[in-house]
Amino acid sequence: MTARTLVWTGFIAIAAFVLMAASRLAILDPVENVTLNVTSPVQALMRGVTSPVADWVNNITDAGALSDENAKLRDENERLTSELARAREDAIQQQGANDLGAVREQFPNDVFVAGAVISRDSSSVRSIIAIDRGSADGVREGQIVVSEGRSLVGTISKAFDSYAWVTLITDPKSAVSAIVQESRAEGVVAGNYDASLNMEFVGQGAAVTKGDFVITSGVGGGYPAGIVIGRVSTVQKADQDLFQKVRVDHLASLPNIEHVLVLTSFESQKLEQP
Amino acid sequence: MRYWVGAVVALFIALLQASSIEQFRVLSVTPNLLLVLLVSWLVVRGLDDVLPMIAVAGVTLGFVGLQTPGLVLLALLPIAGLGLLREMHLIHSDILMMLAFVLAATIAYEFIMIASLMLTGGGYDVLAALRSVVLPATIVNVAIAPPVYMLMRFAKSPARRNRLAY
Repeated sequence: MTARTLVWTGFIAIAAFVLMAASRLAILDPVENVTLNVTSPVQALMRGVTSPVADWVNNITDAGALSDENAKLRDENERLTSELARAREDAIQQQGANDLGAVREQFPNDVFVAGAVISRDSSSVRSIIAIDRGSADGVREGQIVVSEGRSLVGTISKAFDSYAWVTLITDPKSAVSAIVQESRAEGVVAGNYDASLNMEFVGQGAAVTKGDFVITSGVGGGYPAGIVIGRVSTVQKADQDLFQKVRVDHLASLPNIEHVLVLTSFESQKLEQP
Repeated sequence: MRYWVGAVVALFIALLQASSIEQFRVLSVTPNLLLVLLVSWLVVRGLDDVLPMIAVAGVTLGFVGLQTPGLVLLALLPIAGLGLLREMHLIHSDILMMLAFVLAATIAYEFIMIASLMLTGGGYDVLAALRSVVLPATIVNVAIAPPVYMLMRFAKSPARRNRLAY
């Protein structure tokens, strides 16, 4: 090993740790903001050039040219399913409210900011996207992001001046308090490494069946209640386990999502210890 | 090699990786063209040539690929260790060496990414990480390595390129 090699290796190692520390302390936020602003047109151009090849390859690997039609149908299905779930939730809430003698609308003052996806996480580990709206547009960390069909997409994890990172619900760091709409069974919907969703901590006695809707419960204050996450795809029960294994299919087409809505009127609440 | 050429190539590939490669998801993972290219460059040109490229590519992808800046740089650093192995001439076939190095570099890269995620509070299921990320990423990267390496061989001198050492 030459002295030059040693110097370069040492430089890279030190630079890696310095950059990570600076990122933690938010020192690099202005640099990141400028970098993505400058490179996003180049990235869009590169993406535009390579997307026909990607479509072609994906069509082959997806066994057919039906993927476009499938995407449209999926969007339509998401919208209709989401509306159905919201209507059911409204009916349930209405019933509960009637019982109490008062009707409370769920989100009386919803304010959304529409954003386009400009970049996606390049690793195979995380599920993060960047959108072209930032703190200058009223976007703040902790605000929630929904699809055009109004199903849950994720949370704003970092807001820069003119763009923001959205951690998708499929990210391994994501955890959302949720309930099964039909049985009101509570649990936590968590992301996995394979970008799928599990509903954890669902007790063995809870009635959960394939096709049930899963919606946010509002417990914990991180998300408003009643936003559709997805539908139960499989349920596994084993006598020796404390909890059921519930897998959930997200309604929004997250891998291909291009436009999102940020619910800027909602501020997540951090609950204090009693 | 003029290092600025390597730096420009690294910059371009990092941008390509961030903007376009994620569209080509195979086995639910994104092929790491950048890593495969750097390892191929290491086998073809040696450690001295590849270290500046690692620096440029790692910093660029950290900023434009929605990663923690510095983390990609750290995850690419094991390639330097592979450079030392290359100089020991343990494997005499270049292509076998490249495949072995891509395999090792991918495992190291994904482990560093997963360890970082686990240390910052997410996804503690190691088996799921191995099954869903490390294994598929290794298969995909090793599969795309031979064509990338064939292109990289043109960076060799004609005499070395034409010799029968695959």
